Amino acid sequence: MKRQVFLITGKELKGMARQNSLKILFAIIIILLGFALYAGHIAYKQQQIMVERAQKERRAEWLGQGNKHPHIAAHYGTYVFKPKTLLSLFDFGLDTYTGTSVYLEAHYPHEFMFRPAQGYGNMIRFGELSAALVLQLLLPLLIIFITFQTFTKEKKTGTLKLLVSQGVSIRSIYLGKVLAYSLIIFVIIVLFFMGLYIVGVYEKTSTMISDMGLRILLLFFVYAGYLWVFTNFSVWISLKSSSARNALLTLLIFWIATGIIIPKTSANLGETLYSLPSTKIYKEAIQNDIVNGMNPNDTREKRIARLKEHYLQQYGVDSLNQLPLNFEGIRMQEGEEYANKVYDFHDATLYKKIELQNRMGSLMGFFAPYIAVRNLSMAFAATDWYSFNDFQKKTNTYRRHLIRTMNNDMAKNSRYGEFYEYKVGKNLWKTISDFKYLVPKVTMIFKYYWMEIVSLSLWVLIMFFIIPSSSKNKLI
Amino acid sequence: MKLILLLWQREGISIIRNTFQIIILSTIFLLGTYAIYYGYSKITEQQKTINNVQQIEKEEFESYKESFYSDHTLVKEKQLFDIASKPAYAWYRHGYHAILNPHSLAHMSLGQRDIEPYYYKLTGTSLYYQLFQIELANPLKLYAGNFDLSFVLIYLFPLLIIAFTYGLYAEEKENGMLPLLRLQTIGLRKILLIRIGFYYVLIVGSGILLSSIGFLVSRELEVLSIFLWISAILCYFSFWFALMFLLISLKKNSSLTAISAASLWLLFLIVLPAVLNVYANLVYPIDNTSIADVTRRRSLENEDDLNEAKAVVLEYLQNRNDLKEADSLIGVNTMAKAYAAFTALNDNHHRKEVSSYFYQVRRRQKKISLFRWANPAVNTQGILNEIVETDSGIFQSFYQSIESFHKGITSFYFDKLFLNQEITKKDYETLPEFNLNIDVTTRNHTIRSGLMEILVTTFLLFGISLVLFNKTTF
Repeated sequence: MKRQVFLITGKELKGMARQNSLKILFAIIIILLGFALYAGHIAYKQQQIMVERAQKERRAEWLGQGNKHPHIAAHYGTYVFKPKTLLSLFDFGLDTYTGTSVYLEAHYPHEFMFRPAQGYGNMIRFGELSAALVLQLLLPLLIIFITFQTFTKEKKTGTLKLLVSQGVSIRSIYLGKVLAYSLIIFVIIVLFFMGLYIVGVYEKTSTMISDMGLRILLLFFVYAGYLWVFTNFSVWISLKSSSARNALLTLLIFWIATGIIIPKTSANLGETLYSLPSTKIYKEAIQNDIVNGMNPNDTREKRIARLKEHYLQQYGVDSLNQLPLNFEGIRMQEGEEYANKVYDFHDATLYKKIELQNRMGSLMGFFAPYIAVRNLSMAFAATDWYSFNDFQKKTNTYRRHLIRTMNNDMAKNSRYGEFYEYKVGKNLWKTISDFKYLVPKVTMIFKYYWMEIVSLSLWVLIMFFIIPSSSKNKLI
Repeated sequence: MKLILLLWQREGISIIRNTFQIIILSTIFLLGTYAIYYGYSKITEQQKTINNVQQIEKEEFESYKESFYSDHTLVKEKQLFDIASKPAYAWYRHGYHAILNPHSLAHMSLGQRDIEPYYYKLTGTSLYYQLFQIELANPLKLYAGNFDLSFVLIYLFPLLIIAFTYGLYAEEKENGMLPLLRLQTIGLRKILLIRIGFYYVLIVGSGILLSSIGFLVSRELEVLSIFLWISAILCYFSFWFALMFLLISLKKNSSLTAISAASLWLLFLIVLPAVLNVYANLVYPIDNTSIADVTRRRSLENEDDLNEAKAVVLEYLQNRNDLKEADSLIGVNTMAKAYAAFTALNDNHHRKEVSSYFYQVRRRQKKISLFRWANPAVNTQGILNEIVETDSGIFQSFYQSIESFHKGITSFYFDKLFLNQEITKKDYETLPEFNLNIDVTTRNHTIRSGLMEILVTTFLLFGISLVLFNKTTF
């Protein structure tokens, strides 16, 4: 049987090599892949230069802000810019739709600013050409074009009957064909991911991702699985269809439904079911909780009164002036801590809603393998929502550390009632180290994408089940 | 006419008998209805937020006005009155909203309304501190885009056109009907055109019917917008029919015609725009990192230094010839004046950087729009967004209008602050108001030329197809 399978594979490959239209289509795909990778690399370099320069400038500003009161320095604050990960040259993911910089100052944990899509105009909604897009949408279409008539043609010309009458099973023919198409796809993606790895090794400047090799390997497996599913499914549809036209229409409908319609509808449906508040309402709720407290009897005034009482008792003194610490610094930090608690609570609620919205898409991955691949691809390229969220959390931690350092210095070293009289300088600013970001290990994000992994595995498994059994030749 | 009716009747029967075509037509119609619902709910949500912020603003200013009638015996009453009447407290506390109200048909093409902020709260403090905040959104949802009616019309209707027309000639040949048709007295081209005409009426009719549902749920009916919307979809659908006529005229087999049509759909709807977006990233990159710094909350170098404060005030007054007498009043409220002057000077200082950023944005959009004529899908999307005022251009106008609104706010408070005048109850009748300045002439011109470009392409394709049909053989 093995020999029969290989013979069929050889015949299919020869047949494809003779078709000029297929050669052109393959050439187009390879050119697009190459262009996408090249353009992704340029965009990555451009962004890297911009971010590094801006980050350096802001760092110099922080260190060179002169002598001032630490609280004024906390308001002066600094900025963090979101660098692009090296693998974003393969999959831009959500980079165009997440903010790129954030202002870190006392009292106000600002949102990220400047979504690149804001300046890109109407056309950005049609998408950007990345290598991931080519592999996710265009290559499957090419698979459809090369496979839709693989069985129907044999049926029409009568060669299928001839083959079966010579003792070749439908299973062998099927496997031979799948093997032939898979081989071509396999060669394309092996070469492509090897190229990506070489670019990754060459770009030594990127220290953000520590497990580049593993991530590229995972990307390879995900795409290999996905494209194998598409190949197998297309051949199966061709086997089951009465005519080439029916096979083509069925496959095109599948491609459009799973690649265009379902991803968009599920995202929109998720948003309808779990709608997000407007910034205004969200911020107001936070401010309300900060001022009036998250629990009754926890208003700002009462919190301050309790804090004051606590410190007076702790140090056994009658007035704030007698404290060995500047109570204003203590109060400010306590205010920050409470605000952090409020922000954490509201952020968690907001992120939960976003996760629920996204889960709608993940669920749809069981019907549309494209969604599973798209999400996993972004995740492995560290351009997904969780990676952005991780970056956001780390900037938040950095901000809290910066403000805490300023408030603690004020509490320890200045006196109650004095403000402009107390000034610090570079020695304090230097204790805040520059912001450095390291993408979490890829193994840390599996837990967020179990549904995608299961759905894609299921699709792969189903493809094994639909392979015709060796005993059945009734389909002709 | 009799022939047309006869052929159309035959096509009608064939559609009814073809379950696949009925399913695809119904599915797209249902998706269209969902798209209208989605767009409508999204705009309703935005409208609610707008009403909410307007209510907040109204209540805030009502409380200020009422404070003029209270006797100010309570601390809170006194505080409120101070905020209401003293510019030194009021200029950075009074919050105004600049709002980009949705067009009555905005639900049909959401455009950039989910990406760009559609309202801003502004006080007299630094404009740039307030201008670059973004609206909460799920990035994955933004990436997936909006499932609105324009998406259905631009992405899905061409598929309908392809599905109904790709086999109009080839299938007759493949089914052995062609020799019979050739025996007829009328030409094959005429038969084909009549049959295409049937699907044109059917699909354009479905598009208009769906759009009409969208018009009906809108708050008000604007005749010009409706006319332009229908014109846009007529032009766009005509383009796809002309393109299919061209493919049919090549007289290839049905599979190859379908593959070619699907490839063209992919080219216009995905590949070309995606390549162009990446090209724009390379050639016209936008550096927003350089202006992040303008959003910083800055203050005087030495806030306790009265001389420095006075110097800042005088520097500001140098550029305000209308406030000449304010120089002599500098001793009152010096720190408040200094802080106000400082924010104004700071904004002036950063104006060039911000202008340069917006210039980069405009340049990129302008250069990219030069390619619009080559892609009717992108062109139509742009036109639909422009008709319902959800395009990026309208947000550019919004930003510009905000700048002048902010100028109005600062003038209102700063003039009184620097001249040591109080805000009176009467002043509340002449509070600054936001006005959106749109260049309607340019917008209408863009829409008109966009429509013309699609029409010219359509006629060109149609003309070539007419000639090709008789020249090619199957």
